[in-house]
Amino acid sequence: MKIQLTVNGQIVSLDVSPKKRLLDILRDDLNLTGTKEGCGKGECGSCTVFMDGRRVNSCLVPALQLSGSKIWTIEGVEALSIFQEIAEIYVNQGAVQCGFCFPGVVMSTLAFIHEESAPYSTDQIAHGMAGNICRCTGYTKILEVVKVLESNKKLQTGIEEIFKR
Amino acid sequence: MSDFKPHKLATLERRVDAAPKVRGKVRYIRDLKIPGMWFGKTIRSPHAHAHILGIHLDPGFDWSRVVAVTAQDIPANYVAMLENDMPFLAEKTVKYRGEAIVLLAAENPDLLNEAAQHIRIDYEPLPAIFDIFASQVSFTKIFGDTNLFKEIAISRGNVEKARQHSDLTVEIETKTGFQEHLYLEPQGVIAVPEGDHVTIQGSLQCPYYVKKAIDTMFAGEKRITVIQAPTGGAFGGKEDYPSLLAGHAALLAVKAGKPVGMFYDREEDVQVTTKRHPSCHQDIAYVNKDGRITGAELTIYLDGGAYCTLSPVVLARSALTALGCYYVPNIRILAKAVATHTVPSGAFRGFGGPQAIFAIEMLIEKIAHTLNLPPDQVRKRNLIRKGQRTATGQLLKYSVSARETFQDVLKRTGYRAKYQKYQKHNEDILKNLRKGSVSSLNPGEKLKGIGMSVSQHGAGFTGTGENKIQGKIRVEIQPDGRVKIFSAATEMGQGEETTIRTIMAKALGIEREAVILSDINTDLVPDSGPTVASRTTMIIGSLLIEAAKELVKKVKRDLSTKQNLSFTYRNGFFHNPSEKHSFKDAAKLSAGWSVEKQYRHPPIIQFDDIHWKGDAYPVFSWAAAVTEIEVDPVTFDVRVFRYTTSHDIGKAINRDQVVAQIQGGSLQGIGYALYEKIRLQEGHYDITGFTDYIIPTATEMPEFEVNIIENSYPYGPFGAKGLGELPLVGAAPAVVSALWMIFQEEFNEIPVLPEHLAKIFEKKTKKKV
Repeated sequence: MKIQLTVNGQIVSLDVSPKKRLLDILRDDLNLTGTKEGCGKGECGSCTVFMDGRRVNSCLVPALQLSGSKIWTIEGVEALSIFQEIAEIYVNQGAVQCGFCFPGVVMSTLAFIHEESAPYSTDQIAHGMAGNICRCTGYTKILEVVKVLESNKKLQTGIEEIFKR
Repeated sequence: MSDFKPHKLATLERRVDAAPKVRGKVRYIRDLKIPGMWFGKTIRSPHAHAHILGIHLDPGFDWSRVVAVTAQDIPANYVAMLENDMPFLAEKTVKYRGEAIVLLAAENPDLLNEAAQHIRIDYEPLPAIFDIFASQVSFTKIFGDTNLFKEIAISRGNVEKARQHSDLTVEIETKTGFQEHLYLEPQGVIAVPEGDHVTIQGSLQCPYYVKKAIDTMFAGEKRITVIQAPTGGAFGGKEDYPSLLAGHAALLAVKAGKPVGMFYDREEDVQVTTKRHPSCHQDIAYVNKDGRITGAELTIYLDGGAYCTLSPVVLARSALTALGCYYVPNIRILAKAVATHTVPSGAFRGFGGPQAIFAIEMLIEKIAHTLNLPPDQVRKRNLIRKGQRTATGQLLKYSVSARETFQDVLKRTGYRAKYQKYQKHNEDILKNLRKGSVSSLNPGEKLKGIGMSVSQHGAGFTGTGENKIQGKIRVEIQPDGRVKIFSAATEMGQGEETTIRTIMAKALGIEREAVILSDINTDLVPDSGPTVASRTTMIIGSLLIEAAKELVKKVKRDLSTKQNLSFTYRNGFFHNPSEKHSFKDAAKLSAGWSVEKQYRHPPIIQFDDIHWKGDAYPVFSWAAAVTEIEVDPVTFDVRVFRYTTSHDIGKAINRDQVVAQIQGGSLQGIGYALYEKIRLQEGHYDITGFTDYIIPTATEMPEFEVNIIENSYPYGPFGAKGLGELPLVGAAPAVVSALWMIFQEEFNEIPVLPEHLAKIFEKKTKKKV
């Protein structure tokens, strides 16, 4: 089927099987390999992207749902000017280890910040980030990043663009 | 849970690999686009044990666009590891469900899946053995004449005498289950053929293990290069398995004459790759009334699965860790790694240690329970100290912190006071539970427990391993004066790149940016030994320190010759009363010069691996943990809410990432204790991925209180010992110890699931009736 969608702000037209997963469209057709496949069953969160302002596991979204949708991936997000500050906080908190789950973790972090109002409790952050499984870190440092970001006033406006429907 | 205390790292503590990972810019193996690459697929046995009667390719199918490989195509059909018993592809007999028999490659996965439908394999199923005790007495032979991959006996002192003179005997049988690594990036390898040369690139820990395996497989007919791709977690799971997978990719690539990628999806990965060895320990302790253990007889069985892989060395570490952190003068240890018709067990962070520490810590719990003594007191009475000897007679001369780490966690948690507080808190809840009247409880009221463990991990290879491997590194001065390290040590998330660059930079007194690393490619880097056994910081680090000394000597000599002056070197500068040159500037004079260093243990470290006597490890790292847990009295859901641990690792090269390793490893150990369960169904793992194999998420994360103790190892870089595995090793017993405390019941098997706790109460309720 022919579909047209917006990926990271660019309009994309594709002719794909209606069953093809958004994850494969991103990785194979658009060469956006920052989005990772950790399980293919919507359990691990490594393939988290934004679809029409909401986070989704891209392994669970078939092409037939994509027409007219707005997708943001790590490639689009990391190009935002505000992202430099965010990336530095991840590095400064020592939150990354093997990095495979990380594009998904970053997307969920931004979604959480967009969805929830600060200040965040630890339980609130843990629940908000529980859809992204990491086997290396024990999560503490990832959750610390989210806590640090709560005081960044520019962040909400800096990421607004990606949550526009 | 209390709020986080965010912090900012010093520049040198920042990981060198973090920024591109955060930005999603790292290209893992599955992200590479190789022109003309085909995909590989494995056809596997549905039987745990069977004769292969025939392999039939449907003549009606167009095979011209597909390549098929069977055992007949393999020049030397065994994976060169310890025993060389495991074939790349089964030929006449399959020994586990999921064993590979046929490989297929095609241009795209659709064609591949279609081709797979046109292969028929005929089998004669045979009786299969899934039990380690049945295996030892069976006439069905899986390995050798005995079905034992390895048997180890260690003894010291006089156990008979200890038995006669002790006040009582305490026995416990403990069991641990399979554990899956569940690295987030599944296994993947790409093989590229070019004439007689095959380049293997993959997600792997040990490039030279893979090179040896593929060199051997092609019987020297091909030249093999192995490149490590960025690796998305490993934990031991990418130590032995990639040799098999790389062999499969290489066979297909050579036959197809095209690059072939083999990428497991999650389900295939969890069903056919190695797991942590399940164990059964049968332990007997001879004890005095005050809790002192005067003698012990410890018997260990590990389930090695169908092929040997690394079982003998996993068993060795289990046997050498069997006494935990305790001094016992009279000891007999018997350890066996047993073959069964299951997926071969393999390396996993801790490598036999977690099973052993679980067993000994539960023995201690039982002694405390039997004698009605506080469990911390029984531990304290037996903890080993400097100047005492281990089961192999190893005299602990330096860097011994069993007591220091244990005292530290007790003090920091206020253990005794909390023990009483939680015990009092639990009284009414337990009373109601025993009456069976849980409904009358205040909603949300939880049982609270506090538990503990003391653990150790020998750093580096067991016994004579390091002297056999003789790991090498090379360091070369670049034209711009930077220093380049050539080492086969791999980054898999643990922070190796950051650590070894930091060690070199600190040794030279220069900026970390002036130290760079070679790509991990066997054409470029020497064999530094595998990245396993918590050895990289200690072994590779000590070689870097030696190399740094020679770099300074060489550059100083060249600078002195050129300037016709003599210089002293300190803090990154060559000094002379009249001039001062930075290392980087001066080193340009010596561009291209390189030095190679090869590891040998300090000569005072001696081990006899025939009689299992002597220095089993050059040094041990030590840890203690106190866990605080909540148990829901309705659902019996267990949650660790605080995890307090002290680790002595000699020296923290990067304090922040040491804490990160401890947090991550501890949580893996908590998962091992409470969530991670695999059952066998006719030799088949009953798990398919994250849905049915539960690992901790952020909501299962406890509040971590980590303290690092630096009890220097004289031969380590800046005093550093090993870290990577230790955090996992003692976590499970610390969690289960808290269950003993709450329920005053024997817990001897992990994982402990809610249904096990519920059953205890069914039993108790019935007893009352």
